[in-house]
Amino acid sequence: MIPLSHFMLISAGLFCIGLYAVLTKRNAIQVLIGIEFMINAAVLNFVAFGRYDKISGGGQMFALFAIVLAAAGVAVALAIILNVYKYFKSIDPTKTNTLKD
Amino acid sequence: MEVLNLSENRSLIALLAAILPLFSFVFLPASKKGGGANIALSTISLSFLLSLYLFFQIWNATPEHQQLHWFLIGNVQFYAGILLNNLTVLMMVLVSGISVLVHIYSREYMKNDPNIHRYWAYLGLFCFSMLGLVISDSLLLIYIFWELVGFSSYLLIGFWFSKHAASQAAKKAFIINRIGDLGFLSGIMIIYTQFHTLDLLEIFGEGGKISAAIIRDGLWLSGSQQMPMQWLTIAGFAFFLGAVAKSAQFPLHTWLPDAMEGPTSVSSLIHAATMVAAGVFLVARIYPVFDPLVLDVMVWIGAFTAFMAATIALTQNDIKRILAYSTISQLGFMVMALGIGAYSESIFHLTTHAFFKCLLFLAAGSVIHQLHHYSVKNSHEFDYQDIRLMGGLRKRMPFAFWGMCLASAALVGLPLTSGFLSKDSILIKAFEWAATRNGVFTILPWLMVLTSWLTAFYIFRLLFKVFFAESREIKEDKLVQINDSPIQMSYVLLILSFFCSFIVFSFNPISSEASWLWNGFKLLKIREISSYHWLLPLILNSGSFTIIFFSYRIYVQGKWTNPGERNLLYRFSKRGWYFNEIYNFLFIKSLEKLSLFTFQFDLTVIDGLVNRIATLTKRISLVIDWFDRTIIDGLVNALGLLSGYIGRFFRNFQTGRLQQYLMTMLLVMLSFFILSYLI
Amino acid sequence: MDQEQIIFYFFAASVLISALSVVIMENLVRSIFLFFVTLFSLAALYLFALADFIALAQVVIYAGGVLVLMLFAFMLSNKELLNSLKPAASSFKFNNFAGILISLLFLLILFTVIVNTDFNQIAWMQQSVPINVADNTTHIIGIHTMTRYLLPFEILSVFLMMALIGAAHLARKGNKI
Repeated sequence: MIPLSHFMLISAGLFCIGLYAVLTKRNAIQVLIGIEFMINAAVLNFVAFGRYDKISGGGQMFALFAIVLAAAGVAVALAIILNVYKYFKSIDPTKTNTLKD
Repeated sequence: MEVLNLSENRSLIALLAAILPLFSFVFLPASKKGGGANIALSTISLSFLLSLYLFFQIWNATPEHQQLHWFLIGNVQFYAGILLNNLTVLMMVLVSGISVLVHIYSREYMKNDPNIHRYWAYLGLFCFSMLGLVISDSLLLIYIFWELVGFSSYLLIGFWFSKHAASQAAKKAFIINRIGDLGFLSGIMIIYTQFHTLDLLEIFGEGGKISAAIIRDGLWLSGSQQMPMQWLTIAGFAFFLGAVAKSAQFPLHTWLPDAMEGPTSVSSLIHAATMVAAGVFLVARIYPVFDPLVLDVMVWIGAFTAFMAATIALTQNDIKRILAYSTISQLGFMVMALGIGAYSESIFHLTTHAFFKCLLFLAAGSVIHQLHHYSVKNSHEFDYQDIRLMGGLRKRMPFAFWGMCLASAALVGLPLTSGFLSKDSILIKAFEWAATRNGVFTILPWLMVLTSWLTAFYIFRLLFKVFFAESREIKEDKLVQINDSPIQMSYVLLILSFFCSFIVFSFNPISSEASWLWNGFKLLKIREISSYHWLLPLILNSGSFTIIFFSYRIYVQGKWTNPGERNLLYRFSKRGWYFNEIYNFLFIKSLEKLSLFTFQFDLTVIDGLVNRIATLTKRISLVIDWFDRTIIDGLVNALGLLSGYIGRFFRNFQTGRLQQYLMTMLLVMLSFFILSYLI
Repeated sequence: MDQEQIIFYFFAASVLISALSVVIMENLVRSIFLFFVTLFSLAALYLFALADFIALAQVVIYAGGVLVLMLFAFMLSNKELLNSLKPAASSFKFNNFAGILISLLFLLILFTVIVNTDFNQIAWMQQSVPINVADNTTHIIGIHTMTRYLLPFEILSVFLMMALIGAAHLARKGNKI
């Protein structure tokens, strides 16, 4: 059996990669991909812990839910990105700074 | 109410007599223009009647003396009071009598003058102060009235103040009088320090403090008080200085000729009869204070003044100036008489002089008045006071002519006049005195004889030029327009002429000892030499008649060529021995230079200092302003700027960039974790 | 080292490497395709966690739904969008550096926590009943969905509907913001 910590380490690594993508990418879609990575890392964590929970099966359940939510989120996010592009003529997050002081 | 019982309390009568003329001064200046003659005349007449009453009560009776507490300084009490003795009542009658006559005269003389209400007021003030002067019993009170008399003289000389010469003359009179007042005040101070009282009777009366004071070992002792003995002499000189200024003696005589700028009636009252006699009066009042040295100086000054004034009067052309110098000369006689100890002769001469000098002035005033009238009526401009332009008025103005004639005779001292009695007695006493002295003192009486002859010359010159001969200005036909002055003026002249005769003073026309007046003041210390009593008058009068005859020949018959006006002696005499020029050079010029210097000093140094301080203050204020603006405001502004910087710094955190917000959040979270892990 | 572990490590490496490649690569299309790989590898990892249904769901929903959605959205958008997607920044800018730093720090923290945890001492781990290989996880998931997690399930369906409507509305033509 694979020890739990391994799963967790992988998930941590994936999460940080996703975090990096969110923080530094100049493209909104790449930011979105980063977010996806983070969600996937979370799901992996869920699943890893869910292996120890047969009674309530919470881990796997919520992993499922998370996946679904992530999908919905992506759909809405893409729609938003479309609108942002219409307004700002760019999908660079650094260009959408009209809320600055 | 015994004090108010007039028949008992003579001091009150005297006080009333003095105060009555004051009413003119108090009420008249505000009255309508041209008014006030009646009030003035009535008050002075009442004053005269009261003085006359007092005279008959007090003459040769016991003197009256009443005092009140006046003021207290520290522990010292000062009194004010009235002293009535022979001298007082004589002076009161003299002053008020002559004032009444002058009042009547001025009514007509000053008739059309628009400022006449002021004239009556000032005249009232003068009469009040003069009467107050003679009745005062303490030196302080005399001093006050002395000053007041000087002041009213100033007001009256400068009556027509719009004329520059008049205001200048008034100033000159007042200033020179002030110099004398300085002396008088110093004398008062010395007397007070020595005797601690200012009361006349206490100091100068019979057995008074001054006769009780002795000089021993170079110290002047009186009771417990002592001073170095020089102070007695100094006090004498100080008082004499006051008399010198007031009575126009050398060297303070220059104001009297200039004082002729005032109206003629004023000149007759003040500068002939009464005020100038105040100096002589003072000396007479405080006679015991003078020690032999002061008396000798007095003699010389009096003699010199008399001689000098007579020489100056010889060449003057203004009718009033001749009379002014004549006054100075006669005052010199009086002062000299006091100096040699001829106390009663001096007072006698003062009295007779008052009458005939007043008459001389009023007659001259009469002539001036009529000539002025003529000049205005015919629009004939000429100086109506210049005797060279007058002449031939004998037939036209008989009152003035006979009045002036009698007065001139009295002045010269011709027999059967009052002047004969007084003047010759002075000269007799002078010879007797000189007989007791030796050396240079023996020429003194001869100097006085010479002066008397000069007096004869100049006064008859005046008479002949004005009334005889022919006028150069007014031709024969126009002369008939001149008539004698109005009756009010003329009968005053008449009354005064009566007083110039011997009858009033003595029933014996030759001897002065028979005079009641002379007998009122016996203070004889001089050894009599009886031969002088008939010899001297003989010499004097024969000399006078000769001189009169000569002057008649010169001026009426024109029998002598004039040596010319470029003659040195003539010029010296004409310019008054150049005294005015000397004084101007000595005192006025240096004073003007001093005042110019102090003005410049004030301007450059004082003002400069003030201006520099102002500039300094301005500079300091600039520095403070800089300090305030730069440092204080800078501090406040810096605080503002600092908050601005901090704000702007933190503002930069709001970039609006999503990823930066996220990064910041994560940084904070991480730091939490790390810190919590470490700590 | 038995087979299981080798395969596990292979797939783990695949996940990480492909993820790294996704974020490092500049070309967007290629990164999306690499994303594919990541998702598939993740699914394999799920299998090792005995979550076979989840793995399937992952493949179907994520790889077959989300990714395709992204690809389509990306490809069917305007030319300008495509052109503007050409990034010019290099990887060594300051922001990148800060991002790397933060990520690494985060990673460090997580590693520290994970490594220092002794999972066998945790109470719930000791009381837990692990899933066996032979269990029918689909069955279990099915039952749990309808009994225990019914509410989240319903809400999720509503949520999906909301997302659907919302996305459709947001992306409509003529949408003037």
